[in-house]
Amino acid sequence: MSSKPKIAYAGMTHLGLCSSVGGSSKGFPMLGFDTDPALVARLEQGKLPVVEPDLDDMLAANRDHMAFTSDPARLRDCDVVYIAPDVPTDDMGGSDLSGLDSLLELVLANTRPDAVVVVLSQVPPGYTRARQRQGRQLYYQVETLVFGRAVERATQPERFIVGAPDGVTLPPALRAYLEAFGCPLLPMRFESAELTKISINCCLVASVTVANTLAELCERIGADWSEIAPALKLDKRIGAYSYLSPGLGLAGGNLERDLATVIRFSEEYGTDAGLIKAFVASSKHRKDWALRTLHELVLARKPDARLAVLGLAYKENTHSVKNSPSLALIRHLAPWPLTVFDPVVPASAAPHPNVTGAPSALDAVKGADALAIMTPWPEFKKLDPAAIAGAMAGKTVLDPYRVLDPAKAKAAGLDHRLLGVA
Amino acid sequence: MLAHAHEKPVIPKRAVVIGAGGFVGGAILKEIQKANIPALGITRKDADLLSAGSGEALAALLKPDDAVVFVSAIAPAKNAAQVMTNLRMGEAAIAAFAAVPPAHLIYISSDAVYADDATPVTERSPVAPSTTHGLMHVARELMFRSEYKGPFAILRPTLIYGAGDPHSGYGPNRFRKLAAKGEPIGLFGEGEEKRDHVAVEDVARLVVRILLHGSSGVLNAVTGVATSFHDIARIVAGEFGPPARIELVPRPGPRPHLLHRFFDITDAYKSFPDFKYEALATGLKRVHREVQAGLLTPRGNSRIPAPD
Repeated sequence: MSSKPKIAYAGMTHLGLCSSVGGSSKGFPMLGFDTDPALVARLEQGKLPVVEPDLDDMLAANRDHMAFTSDPARLRDCDVVYIAPDVPTDDMGGSDLSGLDSLLELVLANTRPDAVVVVLSQVPPGYTRARQRQGRQLYYQVETLVFGRAVERATQPERFIVGAPDGVTLPPALRAYLEAFGCPLLPMRFESAELTKISINCCLVASVTVANTLAELCERIGADWSEIAPALKLDKRIGAYSYLSPGLGLAGGNLERDLATVIRFSEEYGTDAGLIKAFVASSKHRKDWALRTLHELVLARKPDARLAVLGLAYKENTHSVKNSPSLALIRHLAPWPLTVFDPVVPASAAPHPNVTGAPSALDAVKGADALAIMTPWPEFKKLDPAAIAGAMAGKTVLDPYRVLDPAKAKAAGLDHRLLGVA
Repeated sequence: MLAHAHEKPVIPKRAVVIGAGGFVGGAILKEIQKANIPALGITRKDADLLSAGSGEALAALLKPDDAVVFVSAIAPAKNAAQVMTNLRMGEAAIAAFAAVPPAHLIYISSDAVYADDATPVTERSPVAPSTTHGLMHVARELMFRSEYKGPFAILRPTLIYGAGDPHSGYGPNRFRKLAAKGEPIGLFGEGEEKRDHVAVEDVARLVVRILLHGSSGVLNAVTGVATSFHDIARIVAGEFGPPARIELVPRPGPRPHLLHRFFDITDAYKSFPDFKYEALATGLKRVHREVQAGLLTPRGNSRIPAPD
């Protein structure tokens, strides 16, 4: 082994790509492996299939010690190999682990017996122990990817949570790699590590659900959740970084997957998951905030309304539309003509029979009776409410992510509707 | 939520309304005919579902490609005997459907199937009735669901009002009758309980949409707006000149456990995005005008021809 262990990530989807580029920034020789030669060719050219702040620049800065390959034989040189494909989920939040299993077998067949193989993809409790085999070093590490903040999370992790066969010991190569990030290492038994990931997400969901539940009440009784949340964050028992921004329910698939996993395990082991089911129900209810508000404010009164939607991606700085609140809304607006704009996602992604893609945000809102800003892209924050008011035919703007400045929107004469405000 | 077999409306070969002689069934049949859907209304005279051999009698009236709307009920089912009577009616219908399976079945149920503490109520709220009437509808829903294997829709209306309403339960119809007789409208407590009320015509229009789209699943027939009985009384009283008097009377028992009932009608927005419910105040004024003009729906001295 050289002074620095050679690291590889297998599976160049969102998680693997961002993690490998982030790892390369620590100076480790890095190999990105994927079975798709076409994808690898694009990566070699610096064409990345995901949109993340700083990702392209970080890759360019570390190309001298970062390579991509579709040849599994090259994994034989590596000391630590992460298995990191995105695990797809179905509409019910269930995971399809078949791709992960195939990749794991391929990696085990093409790595040295002394190489450390680490499952980084999100797996249900019991997955890693069930795949242990004699003479190999198989570990599990919790991933904490956040779409739109993937590079930051990959380079400045808060801690590493690693599942180990004995719950304590980490191999030297893996320890050397992880210690380079300068954060606490928390080795634990496999099942604990796997459940830690789910526990983190359940805590996040709990906070978001509290915010959503009380934000809806704010909307009815004249309170403003944006005044309440800062007070809560100053309470040490709640915390400055707690997830207290109201939103449109859970999206993206990963949180839903963990809730589905807890419910499935509770059914299998007879434990109580009533709270988790309530999270799911609350999310479904909140996801339709924009649809309900549009009906109440506009569609019930103006049957021939023209609508505009800004943002199709499920959140800013990503091209992903999986579980996108925007698409969930658009799906139920079929009777009304719709114009959309998203900086990355094409209008063809909108499930609507009469949709028009606009070349810009302001073009999209021209002549609209109502506007819904469904993804908080940074460029939308630069929009001038007065310009929006001037372009629209109506005044109703649904802004669940507070993209527009409320005071300026009010001054422009817009009926600016926010989450958590009466 | 409903799933539609037809994204665009398709007129069924024939729609059959079982229970067309009643307040709700009559309104549904009228709306079906208005939509130019070939229709057959079946009343107790045509097939008495409580008589021996009624299943065969009903089957003789059905065709295999019929879309059937089952409305017949002794409502509200206030006691065990009335529950059992309603279940026997359902049993007879099931026997008929076994002999001549309809192409599409719509069951008119009730929001009484939901638990009292479900709020806001959605189509996914727990089904846990607290009344024998709700129990009856849950049982009939399950009977139809388990025995009929075709596309099956359940419509669960909340409190229905309309010009031909034969009932005099606590609510707008009773308030109007009292006011018409020059008597004060009596409200229990402060009349503060909030309830959703739906016009019978809106229920009928929803049934037509379900027929045209071949829909299956569950939909609540509710407006999404809950109004206090006090406000309802004021609306009704205001239709009379001089306005009828409203009198607060002590409750005969403790305040009801179900004080308010709110509905979340998102599923309606998704099932029929451009469907609009009539606002309660508008509907009550319209009903008042219709009653004054004698334009009742088929039940109750109607000037509108009763269905065949």
